[in-house]
Amino acid sequence: MISLVFLDFNKDSLKDSSKQAISFSNLFNEKVYGITDVNDKDYLSTLGANGLDKIFVVKNLEDIKSYIDIVENNKVDNIILSTNNRSKFISSNISVFLDMPIISNVSGVPSKTDKISVNSTIFSGKADVTINLSSKKSIFILANNIVDIKDFDKKVELLSLNSDEQDIKSYEILETNNIEGDILLTEANVVVSAGRGLKGPENWSMVEDLAKILNAATACSKPVSDAGWRPHHEHVGQTGIKISPNIYFAIGISGAIQHLAGVNSSKKIIVINNDPDAPFFKSADYGIVGDAFEVVPKIIEALK
Amino acid sequence: MNVLVCISCVPDTTSKISFIDNKSFNSDGIQFIIGPYEDYALARAVELKESNSDIDISVINVGNETTEPILRKALAIGADRAFRINLEPKDSISVAKYLKKFIQENSFDLILMGKESIDYNSGIVHHLVGAMLNITSFSPVTFLDFDGDSTIIKRETDTGIEKIKTKLPLVLGCQEPIAEWKIPNMRGIMNARSKELKVLDYDEVDSVISFDNYNVPTKKEEVKFFDKDDINGLIDELKLKNI
Repeated sequence: MISLVFLDFNKDSLKDSSKQAISFSNLFNEKVYGITDVNDKDYLSTLGANGLDKIFVVKNLEDIKSYIDIVENNKVDNIILSTNNRSKFISSNISVFLDMPIISNVSGVPSKTDKISVNSTIFSGKADVTINLSSKKSIFILANNIVDIKDFDKKVELLSLNSDEQDIKSYEILETNNIEGDILLTEANVVVSAGRGLKGPENWSMVEDLAKILNAATACSKPVSDAGWRPHHEHVGQTGIKISPNIYFAIGISGAIQHLAGVNSSKKIIVINNDPDAPFFKSADYGIVGDAFEVVPKIIEALK
Repeated sequence: MNVLVCISCVPDTTSKISFIDNKSFNSDGIQFIIGPYEDYALARAVELKESNSDIDISVINVGNETTEPILRKALAIGADRAFRINLEPKDSISVAKYLKKFIQENSFDLILMGKESIDYNSGIVHHLVGAMLNITSFSPVTFLDFDGDSTIIKRETDTGIEKIKTKLPLVLGCQEPIAEWKIPNMRGIMNARSKELKVLDYDEVDSVISFDNYNVPTKKEEVKFFDKDDINGLIDELKLKNI
């Protein structure tokens, strides 16, 4: 089988979620192709080591019609994307144009029988389901952090697709506000998150300090973003961002079920709370019962 | 201006999820609600109507008769009329096809949805409908207002927030803080009783996707506690110094 992976970049390098997507594709495909609109030939030509056989360089990934022929001309069986806002747009459009089924939140490798069978997380991580497809071709949007990144020894071929420059934009961007900090919440290996237990926005410096030492992203609970202590884009939970880091620190967060829905895919959850009955301890891997204002500085000190 | 708000009927966010014989959702004892993101979408539509009486709000749901209480609630919150497409919402693509048919048969300037339903979390129906109808779609949208002929929105990207100027028609997947959730008042509830709730019988579309075996993950190991004076124990266990 042949797979086409949509590549996402953070600044100048491939995101870990894309590296995972390529490793994932290599588990059940003979050939794995990539597609990108980042035209950095020197960098792209190194991505054989990440598992790509071929990379198509196009003008604009959001101009789907300009490159949709690639899928049929190269006998692509499955299209793989990581979960992010742009990939939802791209995958939906491809699905409509090529009449391909689309599965979100894929959490396991598809089985290689005549029918495609694949697992997907549902109910915000509270359950999963096995999906059977009666189509040979499909689009898979992967849940984050479901496979390890592997090294490969492939030689990658680059193919630039020249298309007529067309102004497809039906909109104008007036202003862009980039999130501060280098580490994207959805991509972070470690996330340090805090809740109302911190009592006020002025107490967040210790959260930021701990995050800095651990090369982590910062997050917060819904009451905290609702109160304006932290920006909305830091809110993780049922109605916020869903994350699946390797390590999640929950400081002064009681662990309401809505909060858990956003973080329960984390590999290890560490809960710090002065209330030994906080529900979050039931879902935690590790717990410390104690005052955040005492415990967090101790962790920072011990790590320094 | 005709606004359509597409709502999902989902288990309350605090629900304990279980399945009958791994085959179907166990709705025993479950309170169903308007999906939280669609609740934001509806609230924003009602806010816009409060400042512009030319706005007419329709709400629609794909589902059987058990979803009518949430459509009544949407009417009580401020929608003018409700529609129910009398079919099971089996997967994103078939729901999008039903909505496409409805939107083609009627006329809407603005189609609002949530960024995703909180049961199957696909987060693609808005973009699918946009692609099917060749209407620009954005998601997740955190701000929506009008400026003369233009529509101003803010959308979350993967690195930040973009403020965008665009034109109707649009399909938007909404997310907080686009509006504050609204709670129906007594007058709204009384008015909702006399508002139209129309049931539409569409032909079922074929789907190549079947959901066959549901599972609830088993609880992982018990939490391991560290004393607050044993920080190094935790640090060693997690190998934090290697990060």
